[in-house]
Amino acid sequence: MRGWMPVAGLIAGVLLGVFGYPLLNISPEVASAYAPYLSLATLAGLDTVLGGIRAGIEGRFQDDIFVSGFLLNTLLAAGLAFVGDRIGVDLFLAAVVALGSRVFLNLSLIRRYGLTKIALNRRKDGSA
Amino acid sequence: MNVFTANIRHQPWVWQVTSLCFVLGLLVTVSLQTVSSIRQSGAGTGRVGGPPLAMSSLSETVRKREKEISDLREKQTQLENTMAHGNDRLKTLNDELQKTKMLAGLTAVTGPGIILTLNDSARRPPSNRAFEQERYNIHDYDLQTVVNELGASGAEALSINGQRFISRTSIRCVGPTILVNAVPMTPPYHVQAIGDPITLAGALNLPGGYLDNLRQTDPGMFRLEKRALLSIPDYTGSTEVRYMRPADTEGSSRRRRR
Repeated sequence: MRGWMPVAGLIAGVLLGVFGYPLLNISPEVASAYAPYLSLATLAGLDTVLGGIRAGIEGRFQDDIFVSGFLLNTLLAAGLAFVGDRIGVDLFLAAVVALGSRVFLNLSLIRRYGLTKIALNRRKDGSA
Repeated sequence: MNVFTANIRHQPWVWQVTSLCFVLGLLVTVSLQTVSSIRQSGAGTGRVGGPPLAMSSLSETVRKREKEISDLREKQTQLENTMAHGNDRLKTLNDELQKTKMLAGLTAVTGPGIILTLNDSARRPPSNRAFEQERYNIHDYDLQTVVNELGASGAEALSINGQRFISRTSIRCVGPTILVNAVPMTPPYHVQAIGDPITLAGALNLPGGYLDNLRQTDPGMFRLEKRALLSIPDYTGSTEVRYMRPADTEGSSRRRRR
Protein backbone atom coordinates (compact mmCIF):
# COMPACT_ATOMS: atom_id res chain seq x y z
CA MET A 1 0.00 0.00 0.00
CA ARG A 2 1.49 3.26 -1.05
CA GLY A 3 -1.27 5.50 0.17
CA TRP A 4 1.19 7.31 2.38
CA MET A 5 3.27 8.58 -0.53
CA PRO A 6 1.13 11.62 -1.45
CA VAL A 7 1.03 12.53 2.25
CA ALA A 8 4.80 12.30 2.39
CA GLY A 9 5.00 14.54 -0.68
CA LEU A 10 2.75 17.08 0.99
CA ILE A 11 4.84 17.09 4.16
CA ALA A 12 8.03 17.42 2.11
CA GLY A 13 6.53 20.40 0.27
CA VAL A 14 5.54 22.11 3.50
CA LEU A 15 8.97 21.45 4.99
CA LEU A 16 10.67 22.90 1.93
CA GLY A 17 8.36 25.91 2.12
CA VAL A 18 9.10 26.51 5.78
CA PHE A 19 12.84 25.70 5.90
CA GLY A 20 13.96 25.79 2.27
CA TYR A 21 13.37 29.46 1.57
CA PRO A 22 15.33 30.71 4.60
CA LEU A 23 18.20 28.45 3.49
CA LEU A 24 18.19 30.12 0.09
CA ASN A 25 17.86 33.44 1.90
CA ILE A 26 14.83 34.60 -0.06
CA SER A 27 11.41 35.53 1.22
CA PRO A 28 8.59 33.36 -0.14
CA GLU A 29 6.04 36.10 0.33
CA VAL A 30 3.94 37.15 -2.61
CA ALA A 31 2.89 40.77 -3.08
CA SER A 32 -0.23 41.28 -1.01
CA ALA A 33 -2.28 42.16 -4.10
CA TYR A 34 -1.77 38.62 -5.44
CA ALA A 35 -2.35 36.79 -2.16
CA PRO A 36 -6.00 35.89 -3.01
CA TYR A 37 -4.93 34.32 -6.30
CA LEU A 38 -2.39 32.21 -4.47
CA SER A 39 -5.07 30.97 -2.10
CA LEU A 40 -7.25 30.02 -5.07
CA ALA A 41 -4.32 28.22 -6.66
CA THR A 42 -3.93 26.26 -3.44
CA LEU A 43 -7.57 25.27 -3.55
CA ALA A 44 -7.29 24.24 -7.21
CA GLY A 45 -4.24 22.15 -6.31
CA LEU A 46 -6.12 20.41 -3.51
CA ASP A 47 -9.00 19.67 -5.88
CA THR A 48 -6.68 18.21 -8.51
CA VAL A 49 -4.82 16.03 -6.03
CA LEU A 50 -8.01 14.53 -4.64
CA GLY A 51 -9.42 14.14 -8.15
CA GLY A 52 -6.24 12.35 -9.18
CA ILE A 53 -6.39 9.95 -6.23
CA ARG A 54 -10.01 9.18 -6.98
CA ALA A 55 -9.29 8.58 -10.66
CA GLY A 56 -6.34 6.40 -9.71
CA ILE A 57 -8.46 4.24 -7.41
CA GLU A 58 -11.09 3.94 -10.12
CA GLY A 59 -8.36 2.94 -12.56
CA ARG A 60 -8.98 5.69 -15.07
CA PHE A 61 -6.09 7.93 -14.22
CA GLN A 62 -4.61 9.80 -17.20
CA ASP A 63 -1.55 11.92 -16.64
CA ASP A 64 -2.36 14.50 -19.33
CA ILE A 65 -5.82 15.13 -17.87
CA PHE A 66 -4.27 15.33 -14.41
CA VAL A 67 -1.65 17.97 -15.26
CA SER A 68 -3.77 20.03 -17.66
CA GLY A 69 -6.63 19.97 -15.16
CA PHE A 70 -4.43 21.46 -12.49
CA LEU A 71 -3.06 24.20 -14.75
CA LEU A 72 -6.40 25.16 -16.29
CA ASN A 73 -8.29 25.11 -13.00
CA THR A 74 -5.70 27.36 -11.41
CA LEU A 75 -5.75 29.78 -14.34
CA LEU A 76 -9.54 29.86 -14.51
CA ALA A 77 -9.89 30.44 -10.77
CA ALA A 78 -7.33 33.24 -10.81
CA GLY A 79 -8.90 34.72 -13.94
CA LEU A 80 -12.36 34.69 -12.33
CA ALA A 81 -11.00 36.39 -9.23
CA PHE A 82 -9.24 38.98 -11.36
CA VAL A 83 -12.28 39.77 -13.49
CA GLY A 84 -14.55 39.78 -10.43
CA ASP A 85 -12.20 42.19 -8.68
CA ARG A 86 -12.35 44.51 -11.69
CA ILE A 87 -16.13 44.53 -12.16
CA GLY A 88 -16.94 44.55 -8.44
CA VAL A 89 -18.62 41.14 -8.29
CA ASP A 90 -17.16 38.50 -5.99
CA LEU A 91 -16.68 36.05 -8.85
CA PHE A 92 -13.92 34.27 -6.97
CA LEU A 93 -16.70 32.84 -4.80
CA ALA A 94 -17.80 30.84 -7.85
CA ALA A 95 -14.38 29.22 -8.04
CA VAL A 96 -14.30 28.64 -4.28
CA VAL A 97 -17.73 27.02 -4.26
CA ALA A 98 -17.14 24.88 -7.36
CA LEU A 99 -13.70 23.69 -6.30
CA GLY A 100 -14.75 23.28 -2.68
CA SER A 101 -17.76 21.09 -3.52
CA ARG A 102 -15.58 18.95 -5.79
CA VAL A 103 -13.05 18.52 -3.03
CA PHE A 104 -15.78 17.22 -0.74
CA LEU A 105 -17.23 14.96 -3.44
CA ASN A 106 -13.87 13.43 -4.29
CA LEU A 107 -12.98 13.00 -0.64
CA SER A 108 -16.26 11.21 0.08
CA LEU A 109 -15.72 8.85 -2.89
CA ILE A 110 -12.15 8.09 -1.81
CA ARG A 111 -13.37 7.38 1.71
CA ARG A 112 -16.07 5.08 0.37
CA TYR A 113 -13.61 3.10 -1.79
CA GLY A 114 -11.20 2.82 1.11
CA LEU A 115 -13.83 1.62 3.56
CA THR A 116 -15.24 -0.90 1.07
CA LYS A 117 -11.78 -2.24 0.40
CA ILE A 118 -11.10 -2.69 4.11
CA ALA A 119 -14.42 -4.48 4.49
CA LEU A 120 -13.61 -6.79 1.53
CA ASN A 121 -10.17 -7.60 2.93
CA ARG A 122 -11.63 -8.42 6.29
CA ARG A 123 -14.17 -10.78 4.73
CA LYS A 124 -11.39 -12.45 2.72
CA ASP A 125 -9.32 -12.91 5.88
CA GLY A 126 -12.33 -14.31 7.70
CA SER A 127 -13.04 -16.89 4.99
CA ALA A 128 -9.40 -18.00 4.73
CA MET B 1 -10.50 -3.57 -13.80
CA ASN B 2 -12.43 -3.77 -10.62
CA VAL B 3 -12.18 -0.71 -8.46
CA PHE B 4 -11.83 -2.66 -5.27
CA THR B 5 -9.25 -5.20 -6.30
CA ALA B 6 -6.91 -2.82 -8.11
CA ASN B 7 -3.48 -2.84 -6.55
CA ILE B 8 -2.16 0.66 -5.92
CA ARG B 9 1.46 -0.51 -5.85
CA HIS B 10 3.60 -0.06 -8.96
CA GLN B 11 1.17 2.34 -10.54
CA PRO B 12 2.54 5.52 -12.10
CA TRP B 13 -0.26 7.77 -10.90
CA VAL B 14 0.87 7.55 -7.29
CA TRP B 15 4.12 9.23 -8.25
CA GLN B 16 2.33 11.99 -10.11
CA VAL B 17 -0.12 12.61 -7.30
CA THR B 18 2.81 12.66 -4.91
CA SER B 19 4.67 15.27 -6.94
CA LEU B 20 1.57 17.44 -7.16
CA CYS B 21 1.08 17.03 -3.42
CA PHE B 22 4.61 18.34 -3.04
CA VAL B 23 3.72 21.42 -5.10
CA LEU B 24 0.51 21.78 -3.09
CA GLY B 25 2.49 21.75 0.15
CA LEU B 26 4.71 24.52 -1.19
CA LEU B 27 1.68 26.54 -2.27
CA VAL B 28 0.01 26.15 1.12
CA THR B 29 3.14 27.28 2.94
CA VAL B 30 3.74 30.32 0.76
CA SER B 31 0.07 31.23 0.96
CA LEU B 32 0.07 30.94 4.76
CA GLN B 33 3.19 33.02 5.12
CA THR B 34 1.89 35.69 2.78
CA VAL B 35 -1.43 35.97 4.57
CA SER B 36 0.19 36.08 8.01
CA SER B 37 2.59 38.80 6.89
CA ILE B 38 -0.34 40.78 5.47
CA ARG B 39 -2.11 40.42 8.82
CA GLN B 40 0.97 41.65 10.64
CA SER B 41 1.39 44.67 8.42
CA GLY B 42 -2.31 45.38 8.78
CA ALA B 43 -2.73 46.19 5.10
CA GLY B 44 -5.85 44.07 4.67
CA THR B 45 -7.31 40.62 5.17
CA GLY B 46 -5.77 39.18 2.03
CA ARG B 47 -9.12 38.47 0.44
CA VAL B 48 -10.41 39.77 -2.84
CA GLY B 49 -12.69 42.67 -2.01
CA GLY B 50 -12.18 42.13 1.74
CA PRO B 51 -12.55 45.08 4.10
CA PRO B 52 -9.39 46.74 5.38
CA LEU B 53 -8.31 45.95 8.92
CA ALA B 54 -8.84 48.30 11.80
CA MET B 55 -7.51 51.81 11.32
CA SER B 56 -5.52 51.61 14.56
CA SER B 57 -2.97 49.10 13.35
CA LEU B 58 -2.47 51.12 10.17
CA SER B 59 -1.80 54.35 11.99
CA GLU B 60 0.55 52.42 14.27
CA THR B 61 2.43 51.32 11.16
CA VAL B 62 2.53 54.91 9.90
CA ARG B 63 3.92 56.11 13.23
CA LYS B 64 6.60 53.44 13.14
CA ARG B 65 7.60 54.36 9.59
CA GLU B 66 7.75 58.05 10.48
CA LYS B 67 10.09 57.23 13.35
CA GLU B 68 12.19 55.19 10.96
CA ILE B 69 12.39 58.04 8.43
CA SER B 70 13.37 60.44 11.18
CA ASP B 71 16.10 58.10 12.44
CA LEU B 72 17.45 57.53 8.95
CA ARG B 73 17.61 61.27 8.22
CA GLU B 74 19.48 61.81 11.49
CA LYS B 75 21.92 59.07 10.61
CA GLN B 76 22.45 60.65 7.21
CA THR B 77 23.28 63.98 8.82
CA GLN B 78 25.76 62.26 11.13
CA LEU B 79 27.41 60.54 8.19
CA GLU B 80 27.66 63.80 6.28
CA ASN B 81 29.29 65.45 9.28
CA THR B 82 31.72 62.55 9.66
CA MET B 83 32.64 62.70 5.99
CA ALA B 84 33.35 66.40 6.14
CA HIS B 85 35.51 66.05 9.24
CA GLY B 86 39.12 67.13 8.70
CA ASN B 87 38.65 68.36 5.13
CA ASP B 88 38.22 72.11 4.73
CA ARG B 89 36.57 72.09 1.32
CA LEU B 90 34.15 69.33 2.28
CA LYS B 91 33.49 71.08 5.56
CA THR B 92 32.42 74.28 3.77
CA LEU B 93 30.12 72.28 1.51
CA ASN B 94 28.71 70.31 4.44
CA ASP B 95 28.01 73.45 6.48
CA GLU B 96 26.04 74.81 3.55
CA LEU B 97 24.23 71.47 3.16
CA GLN B 98 23.29 71.27 6.83
CA LYS B 99 21.97 74.83 6.76
CA THR B 100 19.89 74.08 3.68
CA LYS B 101 18.50 70.92 5.28
CA MET B 102 17.63 72.88 8.40
CA LEU B 103 15.81 75.48 6.30
CA ALA B 104 14.01 72.75 4.34
CA GLY B 105 12.86 71.16 7.59
CA LEU B 106 14.76 67.89 7.17
CA THR B 107 16.54 68.13 10.51
CA ALA B 108 15.08 68.42 13.99
CA VAL B 109 15.87 71.83 15.49
CA THR B 110 15.88 73.47 18.93
CA GLY B 111 15.80 77.05 20.09
CA PRO B 112 13.78 79.63 21.98
CA GLY B 113 10.20 80.24 20.94
CA ILE B 114 6.55 79.94 21.83
CA ILE B 115 3.93 77.24 22.19
CA LEU B 116 0.37 78.19 21.33
CA THR B 117 -2.25 75.67 22.33
CA LEU B 118 -5.62 76.04 20.60
CA ASN B 119 -8.69 74.13 21.67
CA ASP B 120 -12.40 74.09 20.91
CA SER B 121 -14.43 76.15 23.33
CA ALA B 122 -16.15 74.41 26.21
CA ARG B 123 -18.82 77.13 26.25
CA ARG B 124 -22.19 76.84 24.62
CA PRO B 125 -22.59 79.07 21.58
CA PRO B 126 -25.09 81.85 22.31
CA SER B 127 -27.28 80.93 19.35
CA ASN B 128 -27.92 78.14 16.89
CA ARG B 129 -26.86 80.17 13.91
CA ALA B 130 -24.01 78.56 12.01
CA PHE B 131 -21.77 81.62 11.84
CA GLU B 132 -22.02 82.02 15.62
CA GLN B 133 -21.29 78.37 16.34
CA GLU B 134 -18.39 78.31 13.92
CA ARG B 135 -16.43 80.75 16.05
CA TYR B 136 -16.39 78.35 19.02
CA ASN B 137 -14.35 75.70 17.19
CA ILE B 138 -10.81 75.77 15.87
CA HIS B 139 -10.74 75.42 12.09
CA ASP B 140 -8.14 74.90 9.44
CA TYR B 141 -8.16 78.61 8.66
CA ASP B 142 -7.37 79.37 12.31
CA LEU B 143 -4.20 77.34 12.04
CA GLN B 144 -3.42 78.95 8.68
CA THR B 145 -3.79 82.41 10.19
CA VAL B 146 -1.58 81.55 13.16
CA VAL B 147 1.13 79.99 11.00
CA ASN B 148 1.00 82.96 8.64
CA GLU B 149 1.26 85.44 11.49
CA LEU B 150 4.17 83.57 13.07
CA GLY B 151 5.97 83.37 9.75
CA ALA B 152 5.49 87.09 9.21
CA SER B 153 7.04 87.83 12.58
CA GLY B 154 10.18 85.83 11.97
CA ALA B 155 9.50 82.28 13.12
CA GLU B 156 12.29 80.09 11.77
CA ALA B 157 10.71 76.69 12.37
CA LEU B 158 7.08 75.74 12.91
CA SER B 159 5.25 72.59 13.85
CA ILE B 160 1.63 71.69 14.55
CA ASN B 161 1.10 68.70 16.83
CA GLY B 162 4.54 67.44 15.96
CA GLN B 163 4.15 67.87 12.19
CA ARG B 164 6.90 70.11 10.86
CA PHE B 165 5.60 72.98 8.76
CA ILE B 166 7.64 73.14 5.55
CA SER B 167 7.22 74.79 2.17
CA ARG B 168 5.11 71.86 0.86
CA THR B 169 2.86 71.68 3.93
CA SER B 170 -0.86 72.07 3.50
CA ILE B 171 -3.40 72.67 6.26
CA ARG B 172 -6.93 71.68 5.41
CA CYS B 173 -10.14 70.57 7.00
CA VAL B 174 -11.56 67.08 6.50
CA GLY B 175 -14.67 66.40 8.52
CA PRO B 176 -13.98 66.76 12.23
CA THR B 177 -10.20 66.60 11.74
CA ILE B 178 -7.57 68.91 10.32
CA LEU B 179 -4.93 67.51 8.00
CA VAL B 180 -1.41 68.88 8.36
CA ASN B 181 1.08 67.26 5.97
CA ALA B 182 -1.85 64.92 5.17
CA VAL B 183 -1.79 63.66 8.80
CA PRO B 184 -5.19 63.96 10.47
CA MET B 185 -5.28 65.60 13.90
CA THR B 186 -7.89 66.69 16.43
CA PRO B 187 -7.90 69.42 19.09
CA PRO B 188 -6.02 70.52 21.08
CA TYR B 189 -3.58 71.86 18.51
CA HIS B 190 -0.09 72.67 19.77
CA VAL B 191 1.58 75.17 17.48
CA GLN B 192 5.29 75.44 18.21
CA ALA B 193 7.43 78.18 16.72
CA ILE B 194 11.14 78.88 17.08
CA GLY B 195 12.08 82.55 16.97
CA ASP B 196 12.27 85.52 19.31
CA PRO B 197 9.63 84.65 21.95
CA ILE B 198 8.72 88.25 22.69
CA THR B 199 8.27 89.19 19.01
CA LEU B 200 6.26 86.07 18.25
CA ALA B 201 3.96 86.46 21.26
CA GLY B 202 3.60 90.17 20.54
CA ALA B 203 2.59 89.54 16.93
CA LEU B 204 -0.13 87.10 17.98
CA ASN B 205 -1.36 89.48 20.66
CA LEU B 206 -1.62 92.56 18.40
CA PRO B 207 -4.79 94.59 19.11
CA GLY B 208 -7.34 93.42 16.56
CA GLY B 209 -5.08 90.46 15.78
CA TYR B 210 -5.88 86.80 15.88
CA LEU B 211 -5.73 86.12 19.61
CA ASP B 212 -7.55 89.37 20.34
CA ASN B 213 -10.51 88.13 18.30
CA LEU B 214 -10.35 84.72 19.90
CA ARG B 215 -10.28 86.26 23.38
CA GLN B 216 -13.55 88.03 22.65
CA THR B 217 -15.16 84.68 21.82
CA ASP B 218 -13.68 82.65 24.67
CA PRO B 219 -10.31 83.27 26.38
CA GLY B 220 -10.22 79.58 27.33
CA MET B 221 -9.69 78.55 23.71
CA PHE B 222 -5.97 79.28 23.73
CA ARG B 223 -2.90 79.21 25.94
CA LEU B 224 0.26 81.05 24.92
CA GLU B 225 3.59 80.11 26.51
CA LYS B 226 7.05 81.53 25.93
CA ARG B 227 9.84 79.00 26.17
CA ALA B 228 13.59 79.48 26.45
CA LEU B 229 14.17 76.15 24.73
CA LEU B 230 11.86 74.00 22.68
CA SER B 231 12.51 71.37 20.07
CA ILE B 232 10.72 70.91 16.77
CA PRO B 233 10.90 67.54 14.97
CA ASP B 234 11.95 67.04 11.38
CA TYR B 235 9.61 66.57 8.43
CA THR B 236 8.84 62.86 8.01
CA GLY B 237 6.77 62.97 4.85
CA SER B 238 7.76 62.30 1.27
CA THR B 239 10.53 64.36 -0.31
CA GLU B 240 9.88 62.99 -3.76
CA VAL B 241 10.39 65.52 -6.56
CA ARG B 242 8.64 64.76 -9.82
CA TYR B 243 8.21 68.00 -11.73
CA MET B 244 10.61 70.68 -10.63
CA ARG B 245 14.30 70.77 -11.48
CA PRO B 246 16.95 73.45 -11.12
CA ALA B 247 16.54 76.23 -13.66
CA ASP B 248 19.03 75.96 -16.53
CA THR B 249 21.45 78.71 -15.47
CA GLU B 250 23.73 78.25 -18.48
CA GLY B 251 20.89 78.60 -20.94
CA SER B 252 19.55 81.73 -19.31
CA SER B 253 22.98 83.42 -19.35
CA ARG B 254 23.33 82.58 -23.06
CA ARG B 255 19.99 84.19 -23.71
CA ARG B 256 21.07 87.27 -21.87
CA ARG B 257 24.23 87.54 -23.98
CA ARG B 258 22.27 87.46 -27.20
